[in-house]
Amino acid sequence: MSRVSDYAYINARLRARIGIMRSSDIIENMIKAPTLVEAVAKLDGTRHQHIADVYRSTGDLEAAELSLIEEQVASYREVVPFLPSESSFFMTVLLEKLEMENLKTAIRLWYSASIMHHSISDRAKYVCRTLIVHPIDYDRIMNASAFGEVETAVAGTPYKDILSAFTFESLSKSGLFPLEIALDHMWFSHLMEAIRKLPSVDRHLAEDIYNVDIDLKNILILVRYGYYYHLEGARLSEVIIPAGYIGTEAARRGVLRSDDPIASLKDIVHRRYPAITEEIDNIRRTADDFTTMEENARQIMLIENYLAAWRLKAYQRLLLGKPFSIGVVLSYFFLERQEDSMIQAVLSAKSYSWSEGKIREALGL
Amino acid sequence: MSMFTQKMKMLTAVVMENDRDSVVRALLRKGVMEFVHIDALPADKMSRLSSHSSSVPRAALTDARVRIETLMREAGIPLPDIESVDIDQLPPLDMEGYRRFLDRLSGSLQTIRAEQKELNEKLLSYSEIQRYAAEGKNEYLDLRTGTITHGSVKDLLSRLQLIDGIYLFDAEPYISLTFRRDSQRISDLMDKFGWAESPDPETQKNALPEALGKAKALSVEIQQKLGELSEDAKSKILESSDKLIPMWTNVRVHELCEHVESCFSYTKNTTLFSGWVPAEYADDISRIIYETTKGVSIVEWTDADSIPRDEVPVAMKSPKILRPFQRMVDNYNTPEYGSINPTPFTAVAYMLMFMLMFADVGQGLVLLLVGLIGSAVYRKHPEMKDGLLSRYLCTLLIYLGPASMVGGLLFGSLFGLQIPALWFPFDAVVEGEPVPGLINSVYDILAITIFFGIGVIYLGLFLNWINLFRKKRYIELVFDKNGIVGGVLYAAGIWFAYGFVRSGYRVFPSAPWFMPLIAFCLVLILVKEPLEFIIKKHKGQDAGTISHLILSTVMEFLVEVLEIFSGLLSNTLSFMRVAGLGIAHASLMMAFYQLAALPGNAIAFVIIALLGNVLVIVLEGMSAGIQSLRLNYYEFFTKYFTGHGIAFEPVGLRSRIVSD
Repeated sequence: MSRVSDYAYINARLRARIGIMRSSDIIENMIKAPTLVEAVAKLDGTRHQHIADVYRSTGDLEAAELSLIEEQVASYREVVPFLPSESSFFMTVLLEKLEMENLKTAIRLWYSASIMHHSISDRAKYVCRTLIVHPIDYDRIMNASAFGEVETAVAGTPYKDILSAFTFESLSKSGLFPLEIALDHMWFSHLMEAIRKLPSVDRHLAEDIYNVDIDLKNILILVRYGYYYHLEGARLSEVIIPAGYIGTEAARRGVLRSDDPIASLKDIVHRRYPAITEEIDNIRRTADDFTTMEENARQIMLIENYLAAWRLKAYQRLLLGKPFSIGVVLSYFFLERQEDSMIQAVLSAKSYSWSEGKIREALGL
Repeated sequence: MSMFTQKMKMLTAVVMENDRDSVVRALLRKGVMEFVHIDALPADKMSRLSSHSSSVPRAALTDARVRIETLMREAGIPLPDIESVDIDQLPPLDMEGYRRFLDRLSGSLQTIRAEQKELNEKLLSYSEIQRYAAEGKNEYLDLRTGTITHGSVKDLLSRLQLIDGIYLFDAEPYISLTFRRDSQRISDLMDKFGWAESPDPETQKNALPEALGKAKALSVEIQQKLGELSEDAKSKILESSDKLIPMWTNVRVHELCEHVESCFSYTKNTTLFSGWVPAEYADDISRIIYETTKGVSIVEWTDADSIPRDEVPVAMKSPKILRPFQRMVDNYNTPEYGSINPTPFTAVAYMLMFMLMFADVGQGLVLLLVGLIGSAVYRKHPEMKDGLLSRYLCTLLIYLGPASMVGGLLFGSLFGLQIPALWFPFDAVVEGEPVPGLINSVYDILAITIFFGIGVIYLGLFLNWINLFRKKRYIELVFDKNGIVGGVLYAAGIWFAYGFVRSGYRVFPSAPWFMPLIAFCLVLILVKEPLEFIIKKHKGQDAGTISHLILSTVMEFLVEVLEIFSGLLSNTLSFMRVAGLGIAHASLMMAFYQLAALPGNAIAFVIIALLGNVLVIVLEGMSAGIQSLRLNYYEFFTKYFTGHGIAFEPVGLRSRIVSD
């Protein structure tokens, strides 16, 4: 099969949907709506009609958000069969990300119930139990009293090996952070493996996009954990994802073994992303008082917004690039995810009666 | 119906400031005027005018309208017909009052949603309990039966109810069915009341089904209550419809007035405004302004002919019956002011093309019925959203069905079966059966469509000549590729090709006039640029340099010649698709009937033939529709439709969207 026959049909379909998505003013209308009820009504007649229907019949925003995740899974499932095998494997890995985030939510609930002794029943209802990629027994995780049961719930999936490296005691002592980072590392290694299997044109496109994605993740790790939470150099080396420009360059220079790994990492970031130098410098290492914490949070938000804009441009470039490649598919899912998270954010903000201005500021609009 | 775009006139009027609102409302009621900003006046005069400043910003009016519409849609309240409202009797605009009312209404809906949420949370818990029991995951459940040794059972129950679960505490022994993950909290609470587990195994055994039965009953009850609350939310809005509808009307009218007045300019005591009106309404508009202002106004009309053609908005007047085809034209572009109205020609050409490609009495009847039924359903349910078979498509099918039926009668086809033909039996010709008459092979069918194509192209060229003549573009009329010289060359080409085909593709025809005619036409094309250069020089306009003239003459000549020879040839051959689609239609039907005959069973025959017809109606029908549109857009419109016009958008009470 040629690249044209591989991608012609699905890309034409997705391009049409991208056109609708880009010309839509759902987010703007939702932000302008004075109340949550009216914001939800703006989803009528859009591809998110289902959310409006769920909200109208239950009044439950979390139930409506759960339906959004199910929509996302269905959307991936719809596209995968139309792709050539290497690309469909790659898309399955992308879907795995959604599953991993869902698994993290379930494990956080278990942690909350078993280690922190909090009630989780009110939140446990809203965990997506649909089969995403691997068979995970979410019921078992959220009802487990021992960590062994959580491991059993993910038996036969790639998550089993990761979870086996932890114990109830280690999690009680260190919290969920190491486990979540280990899961992230596993997913990024799956991603890199899937990218390597792609045909050359698609591989280059995916590398361009995901190297930036990994860089963004590493910058946030550096800022949040290295700079803000004073993570030691040794711990930082375990956390930084060993891929993308920053991860690869850090490994090449051996900066994580140096005396001041944070300064060296910052230097690498400055070379690649000079526009956020000021924001990174503005983050103060002493975060004890409320004003400093607020200011740091603001700087992190500015960095996040800058990086989000960078990603958006990268995905938009994909749309202008090779027409018969995986680029259109990647752009579609990026734009879809972006719209979905915007909708979720606006609905949450409306439920807290945030003003239009505050919502715009939070969304970086 | 007018053959050309409607003649327009530009109004400029001055009215007294205190008559302004009445004039605006009267003009909105008439709804035939497109207002324009007065910015073409000399700067010294403009500086003495002030622009409109409103008490309520238009954005605020739009936001309020959208808000009211959102709430009305939530309860399925249709937008009122604003034309039937006496807009002079509307109450004053109370934006603050409206906002308070809408906030209250929205707040009451929010309260209902909060109630729903509380119920839904319970429902999800009961569903989870029932699911665990159904899936045999009883280990995730915590079932307790027993009594308390101290304290009040009412107190215990009220505290337990904060934790998700089923509690049967009407009689002893009490039953509690909760999640194992909440066991600790349940135990802590029960211990405080001295909970003693029932030792009776029978009680323990019956407790689970009893609790699950209760969970099921409660789930049903909650689902019913949720439905009722949903309806309550709608009812709340419906109860307010007597306030919402007038509120919407008032806001909408003010929004329209604001839009109109934003185009006005003012002196201390007068208001100056301007706009385009179709010439046929000019007298009406003058009368409306004079009557409203009791003669204290100045009205001036400027004829569109004295204004550059590309600045005049274009209105086309086609009879209601041609509306589906008007939309095809609108989708393509807006014709230039003063040019031919393409709608009637599009209607005829489109239906003829469809008829030739999809000729079948039975299948045409199906299309007609689908169109009629679909339109009736949409008429009965005006709130219904357009599906795959949209309102427009249903209307179009009402035209295409009969066109297809006429084709079926001419070519003798009923659901792909041969019937006596009024012209020639299309299916028999495609099958290669001996047929008397002039048309007896697929080549003859192809020839018909080629002649049809030539007719369409010549019609396009002829319409272009009329347009150019009306626009007084005589150079283009004579020398352009779509002008007379192009038409002559096309005729020579047709004569040449026809002679070649007549000779059995052996000899090119020859005639003493042929080469001199071609040479003469080429010379005419070559002199077009120099002629335009001389005319511009003569009029004192910027004609460019001589070197530019030489270059553009050579380039223009090459491009024009290439376009005439290859363009017109490909345009003509493109019409072979009409025959192609017709032949494919006949062949597909033949294939389906052969397939249907294979099992040798009457029922199988009917089923396969039915499926074949459905498939052909859907796929071939769609294909013929798209190809007809394509031929109209690319082969027909390109000959005469410049699409340089600006659409006329009058503002009136009917206007759906108002844009600056």
